[in-house]
Amino acid sequence: MSRPADGGPTLKAAPLKLATSTPAAGHASAPRVVAILGNPNAGKSTLFNQLTGLRQKVGNYPGVTVEKKTGSVTLPSGRRAEVIDLPGSYSLQPTSPDETIVRDVLLGLQTDTPPPDLIVFVVDVMHLTRHLYLMMQLIELGRPIVLALNMMDTARARGVTVDIEQLERDLGVPVVAISAAKGEGLGNLRRMIERDVEPSARRFRRWPVHLERVLGSLEKRLPRHSALPERARHDLALALLLDDGEDDMLARHSPPDVLDDARILAKRLDQLSPGWRSDDVAGHYEAIHDIVARAVTSGTPRPDKLQDRIDRVLTHRVFGPILFAVLMGAVFQSVFAWAQPAMDLIDKAINLSGGFIGGLLPDGPVRSLVVNGIIAGVGTTLTFVPQIAILFFFIGVLEESGYMARAAFIMDRLMGRVGLSGRAFIPLLSSFACAIPGIMATRTIDNRRDRITTIMVAPFMSCSARLPVYALLIGAFIPNIWVGFLTLPGITLFAMYALGVIAAIAVAAVLKRTVLAGGKPLYVMELPPYRMPQWGSVFLSVRERSVVFVQQAGTVILAVSIVLWFLASYPRGGADAAHVEQQLAAATASHDVAGAHQLERELAGVRLENSFAGRVGRFLEPAIRPLGFDWRIGIGLVTSLAAREVMVSTMATVYHMGDADAHSSSLREQLRDTLDPRTGKHTCTPLVAVSLMVFYVLACQCMSTVAVVRRETNSWRWPIFMIVFMNAMAWGASFVVFQGGRLLGFS
Amino acid sequence: MNEFPGEAPTIAIDAMQPGDSGVIARVDAEPAIVRRLMELGLVPGTELQHVRVAPLGDPIEVSIRGVHLSLRRSEASRIHVTPC
Ligand SMILES: Nc1nc2c(ncn2[C@@H]2O[C@H](COP(=O)(O)OP(=O)(O)OP(=O)(O)O)[C@@H](O)[C@H]2O)c(=O)[nH]1
Ligand SMILES: [Mg+2]
Repeated sequence: MSRPADGGPTLKAAPLKLATSTPAAGHASAPRVVAILGNPNAGKSTLFNQLTGLRQKVGNYPGVTVEKKTGSVTLPSGRRAEVIDLPGSYSLQPTSPDETIVRDVLLGLQTDTPPPDLIVFVVDVMHLTRHLYLMMQLIELGRPIVLALNMMDTARARGVTVDIEQLERDLGVPVVAISAAKGEGLGNLRRMIERDVEPSARRFRRWPVHLERVLGSLEKRLPRHSALPERARHDLALALLLDDGEDDMLARHSPPDVLDDARILAKRLDQLSPGWRSDDVAGHYEAIHDIVARAVTSGTPRPDKLQDRIDRVLTHRVFGPILFAVLMGAVFQSVFAWAQPAMDLIDKAINLSGGFIGGLLPDGPVRSLVVNGIIAGVGTTLTFVPQIAILFFFIGVLEESGYMARAAFIMDRLMGRVGLSGRAFIPLLSSFACAIPGIMATRTIDNRRDRITTIMVAPFMSCSARLPVYALLIGAFIPNIWVGFLTLPGITLFAMYALGVIAAIAVAAVLKRTVLAGGKPLYVMELPPYRMPQWGSVFLSVRERSVVFVQQAGTVILAVSIVLWFLASYPRGGADAAHVEQQLAAATASHDVAGAHQLERELAGVRLENSFAGRVGRFLEPAIRPLGFDWRIGIGLVTSLAAREVMVSTMATVYHMGDADAHSSSLREQLRDTLDPRTGKHTCTPLVAVSLMVFYVLACQCMSTVAVVRRETNSWRWPIFMIVFMNAMAWGASFVVFQGGRLLGFS
Repeated sequence: MNEFPGEAPTIAIDAMQPGDSGVIARVDAEPAIVRRLMELGLVPGTELQHVRVAPLGDPIEVSIRGVHLSLRRSEASRIHVTPC
């Protein structure tokens, strides 16, 4: 029988030894700590967000959450409890860094996080058998657990019913039916969190006799410490037996002689019963089978016809890859085409307000700071908000629908060819938003060498901070010509993203054949069912990313713009400027309007060139001249170290400052039209723009990325290596583009 | 293919055709990998269906108790089923 998801008589009918509904005593001061656990993609983060009101990332593929996250929930009595969202895990015997976090928290190995007071174990009710495997391990740890049967909406739609009382009797834990996405059953769950749930007394796991005996003898020798539940010792002993010597956390928590013994015992077992390392799993599954058979009607869920039909097209031998390419093309095209009207509007508004505010202020340094520094810098950056929003809209839809995992399925062969783990696909895809979450997502990769390879190439994926730079240069220099169903700007943007991907593949292939050779990891990935994106959550993430971008503009970019304005304004000239000033005075005196105008522009240019910023740019110029970049771009390359999109605001300020009557035109026009006063040639040409974009695709400019690589690889070697090879590649590729382009007659 | 006389013949799942089903007979890879595959539900005695092959020929998709898994051929060739 099934129960309405909310308000059902779950509690009354439950034949469980639940303490009376008085809130947990003895915890009056310290809030209860509730950990949300379960298999990957069970809906843990969705539930966490519902309970805490926070905005943890969710997505319809396994391995979205890779870190521990904490929030707090208000319980029906008004008291608060602390809630921890954890990465998904398949087993207490971890195979990757994210699963290790879960094990360490549960076995009390992580000293900074005490084991939780209550575990809310989230399962996808459609995949109950598999999800109960970890649940059973946890029950036997002897901790209080509540089972949250999630995705009840899907179960209802597919005619699957669960006998909740039966399940409660068999497992010995309270069970609550919920739908985290729809917000059903959460009241029940909140009430349950408040109770004193007794740990289940059941033991289900059927251990093979020989293993049981060895584990028993080993666990006697483990030190007793309070954080480790008595019954967790069996699992800790098993972890020690299975450990291949790479697990630092285990080693730190166990006496060396026990470690040695575990190793000897493992060797002996290898000889006596070769299959011992997995002997216990089948027995445990048998136990689960019996339980599920009793509780779930309609047996195993009917195969999902819709999923199969969609997959037949999306992963078709011919149409699959074509659709993948078309989809990507359409994304880049829309980022351009849909954003254009909004961008033009913002652009106009900023120019108008620049002119208006400029008119209010008296001529002088303050006006220049406001107009050239702040409005030009921050304002120009803001024009790219629509593009950021559209990009994240598509990323959100792809992540939520379940297509990501199919894209990984389609592309896996290529990844395997270059030696990348199949698990690398999703971290790499996430890096299109930002390399930092992408690098964090590599925690799902079990093999360390594969993980480092993926980390090293993730920054080649064009992140959203590069998008404004591409968009500015493409908008200024690439003519809007239709080619088939795409436009040249769309194609150019696609090409830049593709270049990053190709570079990543090439570098991974080289790394996997040299310094990071070896290791053939297991690749098994779950293909989640297709789901209608949770639109609310997609739009929230779009809003959040746009807000972050605007905040960035209001903080980092504002600060850089102000500092840059000073550096670009002072000192005011020197001998060259004095010379032009004299000429200007003479021209004005003789009413030579045209001449004076010309000299004014020249003066602005000369001043900028002699300013601190100009000097830095000119100092760099010899190194970047071969790439086609002049000292103005050199300034941008320096400020980009704060964040790549600062390039845009820098160009805005530099071009405004260097041009006396620039206030009326947009940055795009200025980039196109500005002439170098010395040579009389354009400072920036289409070829320079392409060379510059290629540089941005490949260069390692983001200090936050470097810091994350340092943290995740736990060494300085890899981040330094990354800075060197990426920047060398960037220089080399831009050199080839610019010099090659010139030889071919482009300008 | 039939290594144990008297037992039903088994085939590796990468040799199955899309749509074929079988009951898992054994998994013979490295011990650590066997453990993980089993923890994911690929335990002997469970029915498994070969669903499809990826466009480029690798990996393959199998379904087990309604869970769809993508496996590279290198692992799939180690999992043997008794066709049914
Ligand atoms: N239909 C339905 N979908 C849900 C429900 N709860 C979550 N989802 C969807 O399930 C997918 C996975 O949700 P997450 O919350 O990211 O899952 P998770 O357990 O945190 O996953 P990992 O972080 O990868 O371990 C998302 O696409 C959610 O929208 C539900 O109750 N019903
Ligand atoms: Mg999550």
